[in-house]
Amino acid sequence: MKSVFKKVLVVVMVLAMVFSLAACGGNKYTSGNTEFVIGFSGPLTGPAAVYGVAVKNSAQMAVDEINAAGGLNGVKFKLIATDDTHDATKVAANYATMLEGGMQVSLGTVTTAPGLEFKNLSAEDNVFFLTPSASGDEIPANNNGFQMCFADGNQGKVAADYVNSTGLKKIGIFYKSDDAYSNGIYQQFKDNLDSSIQTVEAVFTDANATDFSAQISTLKDCEFVFMPIYYTPASIFMTQAKDTIAANAVYYGCDGFDGLAGQFEDFSVIPQEVSMLSHFDSNATEGAAADFIKKYTEKFGADTLNQFGASAYDCVYAIYNAMKAAVDAGEKIDVTISASDLCEILKAQFTGDFSYSGVTGTDIKWEDNGYVSKEAVKYTLKTANSAQ
Amino acid sequence: MANLKNIKWKHYINYVVIAVFTVVFALLSFSGVLKSSDLYMLEKIAIAIMLAVSLSMVVGFLGELSLGHAGFMCLGAYLGGKTAVILEPILGEYPALLVSLIVGGLVAALFGVIIGLPALRLRGDYLAIVTLAFGEIVRSVFMNTSNESFGGSLGLNTPRFDKSVLFVIALVLVLLCLAVTQNLIRSKHGRAITSIRDNEIAAKATGINVTKYKLIVFAVSSFFAGIAGVLYSYSNFTVQSSKFSYNYSIEILVMVVLGGMGSINGSIIAATLITFLDVNLQTILTGNLAVLQDLFYALILILLVIYNNAPSLKGFREKYNIKNIIEKFKQHNPSKIKDDEAKWDRVPTKIEMDEVLSVDVHVSSNYTPDKSEKEEK
Amino acid sequence: MKFIETLINGLSMGSTYAMISLGYTMVYGIAKMLNFAHGDIIMVGGYTIFITMSLSGNPILGLLAAVIFCVALGVTIEKIAYKPLRGASPLAVLITAIGVSYLLQSTAQIIFGSAPKMVNIANLGNVKFAGLNIPLYTLITLGCSMVIMIVLSLFVKYTKTGRAMIAVSEDKGAAQLMGINVNGIIMITFAIGSALAAFAGLFMLMKSPSLTNTLGAMPGIKAFTAAVIGGIGSIPGAMVGGLLIGVVEAVSLTIPVIAPYTDAIEFLILIVILLVRPTGILGKKRREKV
Repeated sequence: MKSVFKKVLVVVMVLAMVFSLAACGGNKYTSGNTEFVIGFSGPLTGPAAVYGVAVKNSAQMAVDEINAAGGLNGVKFKLIATDDTHDATKVAANYATMLEGGMQVSLGTVTTAPGLEFKNLSAEDNVFFLTPSASGDEIPANNNGFQMCFADGNQGKVAADYVNSTGLKKIGIFYKSDDAYSNGIYQQFKDNLDSSIQTVEAVFTDANATDFSAQISTLKDCEFVFMPIYYTPASIFMTQAKDTIAANAVYYGCDGFDGLAGQFEDFSVIPQEVSMLSHFDSNATEGAAADFIKKYTEKFGADTLNQFGASAYDCVYAIYNAMKAAVDAGEKIDVTISASDLCEILKAQFTGDFSYSGVTGTDIKWEDNGYVSKEAVKYTLKTANSAQ
Repeated sequence: MANLKNIKWKHYINYVVIAVFTVVFALLSFSGVLKSSDLYMLEKIAIAIMLAVSLSMVVGFLGELSLGHAGFMCLGAYLGGKTAVILEPILGEYPALLVSLIVGGLVAALFGVIIGLPALRLRGDYLAIVTLAFGEIVRSVFMNTSNESFGGSLGLNTPRFDKSVLFVIALVLVLLCLAVTQNLIRSKHGRAITSIRDNEIAAKATGINVTKYKLIVFAVSSFFAGIAGVLYSYSNFTVQSSKFSYNYSIEILVMVVLGGMGSINGSIIAATLITFLDVNLQTILTGNLAVLQDLFYALILILLVIYNNAPSLKGFREKYNIKNIIEKFKQHNPSKIKDDEAKWDRVPTKIEMDEVLSVDVHVSSNYTPDKSEKEEK
Repeated sequence: MKFIETLINGLSMGSTYAMISLGYTMVYGIAKMLNFAHGDIIMVGGYTIFITMSLSGNPILGLLAAVIFCVALGVTIEKIAYKPLRGASPLAVLITAIGVSYLLQSTAQIIFGSAPKMVNIANLGNVKFAGLNIPLYTLITLGCSMVIMIVLSLFVKYTKTGRAMIAVSEDKGAAQLMGINVNGIIMITFAIGSALAAFAGLFMLMKSPSLTNTLGAMPGIKAFTAAVIGGIGSIPGAMVGGLLIGVVEAVSLTIPVIAPYTDAIEFLILIVILLVRPTGILGKKRREKV
C-alpha cells in the first residue's frame, strides 16, 4: 500500500515543517545578540574557493585581533561566513539565514556575480555592507553598499591616466572579452585613453585557453602591453611570448596580476618588465602589507594569500573603526542595535569625514556613491632583465 | 455518497496535500509569521517539484534519459525574464507575470519539440548526451549575449516578485503542472506513453503513434521546465547562465531517480526533501565546516541509492519496510490494481545491453502480480 | 604554418581527451554504466603526481605513483559503490557515480585546500622544425597516447583477458556461462580506465601547471562527448572522437569571432554527427528485438 505510506510520510513532513516554522516570529533578529555579528557570503567551496577562503581567514583574523584588544567598548565581534560557491542563487538563503542569525553589518559577497543578488537583498532590509572584492561597477548601486577594492571601471581610468602620463605613442591591449572584470576595465581604459595613442588589441575568451600564439603575433611589435586579466592566463601568455615580444617591453596589469610570481618557479625566465596597478602586493616587504602577510602566512600558510584577503582584513577594521568613530561622536551603538539603524550610522560615517589607513592603502575614503577613493600604487613585480 | 466512495482517493491525495500545504503557508505568510529564509525555501521547493515532475514525464514515463532539463529552464528563465522586464512597466506586475509565464513556457516547449525530434532516432545514452549538449549550447549562447540583450556574463536583471506572494503562485502552478501531467499519464495517451517505454517496437506494432507521443511528452515536460525557469527568474534579482549547467540537470535527475521512476508522488517527495537538505546543509555548515557540505550530500546520495537499489539488500529491505509493516495490519485487496505507477525494475522489456534504461528481468517461478506489489523497489 | 601548429596543438589536446574517453568507453562497453566519476580520477591522479613530485621531483616516478594509486582507487570505488548495484537499474548506478564524483571532489578540497597547487613538470621548451614552433610536451602527449592506444587495441584483440572483455561486453550472461569471471573482468576494466586517467592527469598538468579539485570535471564531460561521437563502447571510436574534439577546439579557439562559442560548437558537432549516424562514427548498429 504504497500510497498509504506516502500519505503518512507527506503528512508527517508537512507537520514537521509547520512546527519548525511556527517557532519563529517577530522581525528584530538582533535582540538576542551578545556580540556584534558580521556576515558575508563567498565561495568557500568550488572552483573560486581560494578567494572566499582568503576572505574568511583574513576577516576572522581581524575579528580575533579586535576581540583580543577588547572589542568595541567591551563588546566582541562574531563573523559568520556562508558558502555560495560563486552561485548567485545561493545568496538569498545565505543572506536570510545570516540576517535571522542576528547579522548587523556585512562584508557583502566576495565575487561580483553573487554580489548583484546581494546588493538588492541587503537594500530591502537596509543592511550596510562593505565588500572586499566584488568589484563590479553596479555593486554599490544602492546606497547601503560600499567597496574596499577599486571598481572595475575605476581601475581602467587610473590605468589610462598612467599610460597618458608616460608619453607612449603606441600600446598593446590584451584582454578577455567575455569576462565582466576584464571587459569592464578595458572599456573604461579605452574611454579615458588619449586619442593620440595608437592601440593594438588582442582578445581571448576561453577560461582554459592555453595557446596564445595568435594573440602574441598580433602584439609582437608593442613595447607596452596593458593586460587587465587574471594571473593564470597572464602567466601562460608571458611564458609563450618570452622570446617573441621585445625584451625591453613592459607588461602592465591590474589587481588581477597579484599572485603572478607564484606561477613561476623562477620569475626571471620572463625577460620583460612586469608591473601592476593594485592596492596590495602579496610580496610586499615593508609597511602594513608586510605585517599582514607575516601574520597571515603564520596562521594559514601562503597558499591562500592574495589581495582578496588583505582587502577583507581592511574591511573588518574599517567597519570597526567607523563604529568606534561614531561612538566617539556620541552615537549610541548597542550590541542589540538593528542592522538598519547601524546601517544609517555607518553610512553617515562612510560618506562623511571618516578615513581609514590599513593594509591596502592609507587615508582611504569613500565617495557618496560607494566607490572607494584611495591611491592605486604601481607595483613593479619584476624589472626587465636587461635593466639589471 | 456512493460516488464519493468510488473515487480513487489515492489519485487525488497529492493535490489535496499540496493545496492544504499552500493554504496553510499562505495564511502563515500573510500573517507575517514566516521568516524570509522560509519563503526562499518554499520558492525553491516549488520550483524543484515542478522540475522533478516534468522531468519524470520524460525519464520515468517515456523512458528516455534527459540530461538537459536545465537548458529548457534556462530558456524559460531568460525569455520569461526578458518579457517581464519589458512588460512590467506597461502592464503592471500580475499581467506581466502571466504573459512571461506563457512566453517562457511556450518557447521552452518549442525547443522541447525540436529536441524531441532527434529522440525519435536516438536511444539511451545517445539521446542523453544530445540533451546534455543542447543544455550546454543554450547556456553558452546566453553567456555570450550582449549586455543590452540578455546581460551576457553579468546576467539579466529581472524584477523580483514579492517574496511573500511568489511561493503561493509557484505552488498553484505546481498544482496546475500536476493536473496536466497526471491527467495525461492516466488517460489512454498515458498508457500509450508507458507502453513506448516498456517496449517501443511492440507499441509501434499495436498501432501507437510513437512520434506523436514522444513529441507530446517532450513538449509538455519542457513547457513546465520553462515555467519553472520563469518562476526562477522572478525569485532572483538576476538570471545568470552559469547556474544552468549540466550539473543542475543532474541534480533534477537525482530527484526523479530517488523518488522512484514512474512515480510522480515519489518525485514530489524527493524534490522536497533534497531541496530541504541542500539548503540546510548550505546554511548550517558555514565557515570552516562548509567543505563538508558536498561530502555529506555525496555520502547520503550513495548510501540512499545503494540501499534502495542493491539487489543483495532486497531481503533486508523487505523485512524492514514500513510499507510491509503497515500492510500486515491491513486486509489485502487483490482487486486493486495500480495503474499509474509502473514497476520500473519489474517490467519485462528490452533486453538489449546498449540501452541505458534496459532492465534485467527476473521472472521468478512464484511471480504473481500481487506478490510483485510487495516487492516494489 | 600557423594552421599546422594549431592542428598539432589540437591533436595533442585531443589525445588527452582520447585517454579519458577510452576509460569512459571501456567501462561503458563492459559494465554498461556511465561512470561520471571518471573525470575526478584524473584529478586524483594529478594530486598524486603533485605529492610525489614535491617529495622526489621526478615526473616519471609521479606518473608511476599516480597510475598505482588511481588503479587502486578505481577498483575500490567499483567494489564499494558500483558492485552492490550490479543488476539494478542503470540509472541508479549513474546516480551513485555522480555521488562518487562529489565525494572525490570534496575530499580533495578537505585534504589539499582550495588554493590551486602549482605542479611544474620539467620545462621542456619548444621544438623548431621546418619553420614550425611546437612545444615539446604536445609531441610527447601525442606520441604517448598513440602508443597507449595501439597497445590497448592489441591487448583487447589478442590476449585472453582482452577477448574475455569483448565477450562480456557482447553478452554478460553468455560470457559467464563460458566460464569467464565477469566480476574480475569488470574490475580489470576499471583498473585500465583509471590508469589511463592517471596518464591524462599528467598530460593536463604538462599543459597547464595549475591543479584544483575540479580539474577533471569539464574534460570529463568533453571526453564523454568524444566517446559518444566515436561510438560509445568502441575503442578506436574513442580515439577518433577525442582527436576530433581536440582539433575542433584548437581551431575554433584561434578564430576570434567564434572563440567564445567553442564549447557550443563542439556540442553542436556532436548533435549533427548523431543525427547523421545515430550510434556515432564507429559505433555498431544493433538490431532492436522485441
